[in-house]
Amino acid sequence: MRAPLSQFGVESPSSLEDALARMEASGGRLTPMAGGTDLYVYLNAGSIEPGRWIDIWGLDELRGIAEDKTHYLLGALTTYSQIRKSPVMQQALPLLVEAAATVGAVAIQNRGTLGGNIANGSPAGDSLPSLLVYDAEIDVRSVRGSRSVPFHQFYTGYRASVLAKDELIERIRIPKAAAARAGASRFIKVGTRAAQAISKVVGAFALHRGEDGKIDRCRVALGSVAPVPCRMTQVEDHLTGQTLDGELIASAVELLDEGIKPIDDIRSTARYRRFVSLRVFERFLQESRES
Amino acid sequence: MSEPKSGAAKGVIGQRLPLVDARKKTTGEAVYTDDIRLPNTLVGKILRSPHAHARIKGIDTSRALALPGVAAVVTGAENRANFGVLPISKDETALAVDKVIFVGDQVAAVAAEDEEIALEALGLIQVDYEVYPAFLQPEDSLKDVADPAHKIHARTVGETNVHKQVDQHFGDVDAALKDARIVRRGHFEFGSVTHAFTEPHCVIARYDTDGKLTLWSATQVPHYVHRALVEVTGLPMHAIRVIKPMVGGAFGGKSDPFPHEMAAALLSMKSGRPVKILFDREEVFLSHHGRHPTKTDIAVALDRDGKISGLDLKVLIDGGAWGSFGVVTTYYNGVLSAGPYDVSNFRYSGKRVYTNKPPCGAMRGHGAVNSRFAFEVLLDEIAEELGEDPCELRLKNFLPEYTTTINEFRITSNGIAEGMLRAMERSGWKEKYRQLPPGRGIGAACGFYISGSALPIHWSKLPQSTVHLKIDMDGGVTVHAGTADIGQGSDTMLAQCVAQVLGLPMSRLRVYTADSDMDPVDLGSYSSRVTFMAGNAARRAAEQIRTELIEAASRLTGYPAEGFVLEDELVVYTPLPRIRMSYMEALTEALADRGALIARGSYQSPPMGGKFKGAAAGLSPTYSFQSYISEVTVDEETGFVKVEKVWAAHDCGRALNPIAVEGQVEGSIHMGLGQLLSEQFRYHDGNVLNPNLLDYKTLSAKEMPEVECILIESGDPEGPFGAKECGEGPLLPILPSVANAIHDAVGVRIRRLPVTPEDILQGIQKNRMERSDVAAKIRVA
Ligand SMILES: Cc1cc2nc3c(=O)[nH]c(=O)nc-3n(C[C@H](O)[C@H](O)[C@H](O)COP(=O)(O)OP(=O)(O)OC[C@H]3O[C@@H](n4cnc5c(N)ncnc54)[C@H](O)[C@@H]3O)c2cc1C
Repeated sequence: MRAPLSQFGVESPSSLEDALARMEASGGRLTPMAGGTDLYVYLNAGSIEPGRWIDIWGLDELRGIAEDKTHYLLGALTTYSQIRKSPVMQQALPLLVEAAATVGAVAIQNRGTLGGNIANGSPAGDSLPSLLVYDAEIDVRSVRGSRSVPFHQFYTGYRASVLAKDELIERIRIPKAAAARAGASRFIKVGTRAAQAISKVVGAFALHRGEDGKIDRCRVALGSVAPVPCRMTQVEDHLTGQTLDGELIASAVELLDEGIKPIDDIRSTARYRRFVSLRVFERFLQESRES
Repeated sequence: MSEPKSGAAKGVIGQRLPLVDARKKTTGEAVYTDDIRLPNTLVGKILRSPHAHARIKGIDTSRALALPGVAAVVTGAENRANFGVLPISKDETALAVDKVIFVGDQVAAVAAEDEEIALEALGLIQVDYEVYPAFLQPEDSLKDVADPAHKIHARTVGETNVHKQVDQHFGDVDAALKDARIVRRGHFEFGSVTHAFTEPHCVIARYDTDGKLTLWSATQVPHYVHRALVEVTGLPMHAIRVIKPMVGGAFGGKSDPFPHEMAAALLSMKSGRPVKILFDREEVFLSHHGRHPTKTDIAVALDRDGKISGLDLKVLIDGGAWGSFGVVTTYYNGVLSAGPYDVSNFRYSGKRVYTNKPPCGAMRGHGAVNSRFAFEVLLDEIAEELGEDPCELRLKNFLPEYTTTINEFRITSNGIAEGMLRAMERSGWKEKYRQLPPGRGIGAACGFYISGSALPIHWSKLPQSTVHLKIDMDGGVTVHAGTADIGQGSDTMLAQCVAQVLGLPMSRLRVYTADSDMDPVDLGSYSSRVTFMAGNAARRAAEQIRTELIEAASRLTGYPAEGFVLEDELVVYTPLPRIRMSYMEALTEALADRGALIARGSYQSPPMGGKFKGAAAGLSPTYSFQSYISEVTVDEETGFVKVEKVWAAHDCGRALNPIAVEGQVEGSIHMGLGQLLSEQFRYHDGNVLNPNLLDYKTLSAKEMPEVECILIESGDPEGPFGAKECGEGPLLPILPSVANAIHDAVGVRIRRLPVTPEDILQGIQKNRMERSDVAAKIRVA
């Protein structure tokens, strides 16, 4: 049942500085609200404790897609629609654009943010495997200062992260070098229906080969097969420096099989998640080999 | 009375017309129950049971009542009156009396100044429960209950939780199975699906100082709500007025009188103020009344002539916590299965049990969907085993028109064979069946459905539908009927029937329906009865007015009445067409010295059916027939099914408004595909795990296949302008036709719904393993 709204309060900060000051002053008890597309679901389901929220949607400092010499910079409030429509993103980060296009449906894409997807920390978050593939770094900030965390070290367990209670995600930085060397890539999402579906399986793969045809950079990232979205580093290491052939593909798929720990839940079965992850990965490698 | 000669070509029947309320709905001008704002209205909220089965040891409402802003609280202790949609199983109360029987059962209701206060008050009500063992699996409800207190309801079969048992046998099924050329058996399991209509339940009750109760509610059957309110409030029927505002979809889910409607009435009577209760989506899921899950065992026999000689059905039906329409459901799972085929021996044994889960009820295709699925899938298997074309096998077995079935249904118009042939031709069936590339498949299935129940659920000599018409000097035609337009377009249908008879454009018609003070009684929008019954009533009323207008024209011109027709707002003497006058001239003459023209038309089904127990169930003045062919693609790596195209042939007698019929066919396909592919209640200890539209997956627009509607117009002799139903029958064949197509694509047979990508992948893998086993054996040999 819906939680009574009278037991919730919302603060409207005037700037990022103001927001961070209020978060600190509250002793970390303010819940940031960006697009609200996760929070409102929890509110409606009554699965969230009454308390105070801080509405960061109006903080323009956290909005927008930009770049500097070395990185693409995505403000935490960047929406899926903005990602989909950005020519820079389309050209440089196709996996992220593809992922954004599969989130919910248009209304959710207009309102849901990248920062929210990261902070919410669902293992089924659709943007997360692509961010892993591109070696994203997360800039977080509090009154105590700023720091940058490599995304693959961001989560510490199921829906738990290094983000402190008084910290906000400020922006996502993606090294241009990583984007440039992504190579052949593939995004997969399998849900229960074609729109408005939380993923049963979500993943992103990328494979780059040098002049000699040997794999020199490879990323294998999956969601929904472990408590957190993760990179399969053993598989990546196994492939790196090698030439794709039938034997290598078979052994890589076998390693992936060993590396994932999917579960049964309301959306799917462990068995199905495993099968589909392996088949899609195998097909990706085979197609890369043929191209 | 003869039809207007130009009826077939002229007029509004058969035209593609937008619904009369379409503009208001799309602009937001339409008034739904929640849009109604009466002064001084209180917000009503309901405290619901957290337990699947428990005794209420005590309820303390004192703290809630003491909260400033709370106007009234009611509990079951104050009103123990029973009600229920069927007179034979009235097992509901406004609020739980002594015990709760499902998670979500109504325990207490509060009326307060605003929603916040009402919610806070709910939290202040103390309920002391003694938790009872819960019956969650239908099999458990078949057994004797050791402690009678633990029975879900007092009135059941013996000491079990069986609500209703039906046994019927026509011919000799055992002999048919023994003598058959081939027999196929199957055990099927069907999950729990719900209507997922757009508008949540909403009600406003106003008990005024004159001692009159008015109830606005999102309901399909104002008349049944009216009857139940009499039982619960004790007020005389004439002191109660029930109004149905615009309804945002119902599909059977608003055809019972509901406890929240009763609770709103009681709260208003207690507080003396209007009370509104609007459900949130979770409450909609918990009050449910959706399709009954079943476990269906079936055997089908084909004799040496290729005729279906035996159908043996045994169904266990999970009813949830209340009776609702369940007695009807129990019959329908059997009696609506044999047709559209000429089955010579038929046996049915059905049991509906109570369980401690949200109640099941009527849902589009009521009672017929699951048995239809099992039967159509087995026919496909039989055809496969015999190496025959499943469409040809069906063509050989269809009921003819104008016949009587083995269970004594009167069959009149029947265009099923024409539908099958047209669907085969349009889909390229002969070139595709068993010839499409791997992963792609095509499948067929058929169906039939009642066009209104011939016998009403309350025994009465009253007509089943009555329509009043009034025409005054302004020339507009006012239609009054108790019918409930719930989005299906019944107001439009009434206007069309009247406009057609009077030769008028739709713009002259105004339709007022579903207000018990203003409109004659109608039995409501369920069992696909409205077009057939109320349409006939409207036509008959209009025919009387037509007679009056023609007599006036005859008086004015001196020509005999027999030669006049009404068309294009003119009254024309056909033997000499220059003898004519405008509709308004004839009307002015007809009104002279008398005032407004008033007419009443009504409909009552003719007597029909057999004399055996349960013979009335499934009887209908006519039946609709369907033949569908579906084409699918199955992704062999993810198990995903994409339905590419459906050729949907539906015999609706006559398409009064083709776009309305097509809308019903397409909507039925969408709903049926949801049950087949993705919709399902998930439970844990009697708790619904997915009571929201994100986790309960109806299909999105992206999954909707292209639908080619093939409208078969068999012209029913008793239907209004030849029409019969199109709202429910079109759902039936979509599930088995797609299941049969999936088999054609990847060789997987479906025994459990919904069929998930997980199941399909598992099926594909199993087939592969069996095939490689066979290959290995061949190699060894
Ligand atoms: C109908 C529907 C469909 C959906 N479909 C999908 C889908 O297909 N795929 C998918 O991945 N998700 C889906 N979602 C979930 C949701 O839309 C996404 O996770 C979205 O990215 C969340 O962003 P938001 O800005 O709305 O987050 P919010 O709801 O505002 O916040 C989510 C969480 O992140 C925290 N937070 C937000 N911003 C920050 C910040 N800058 N710093 C620190 N903490 C922050 C909040 O405190 C909260 O805990 C769906 C949701 C709905 C309602």
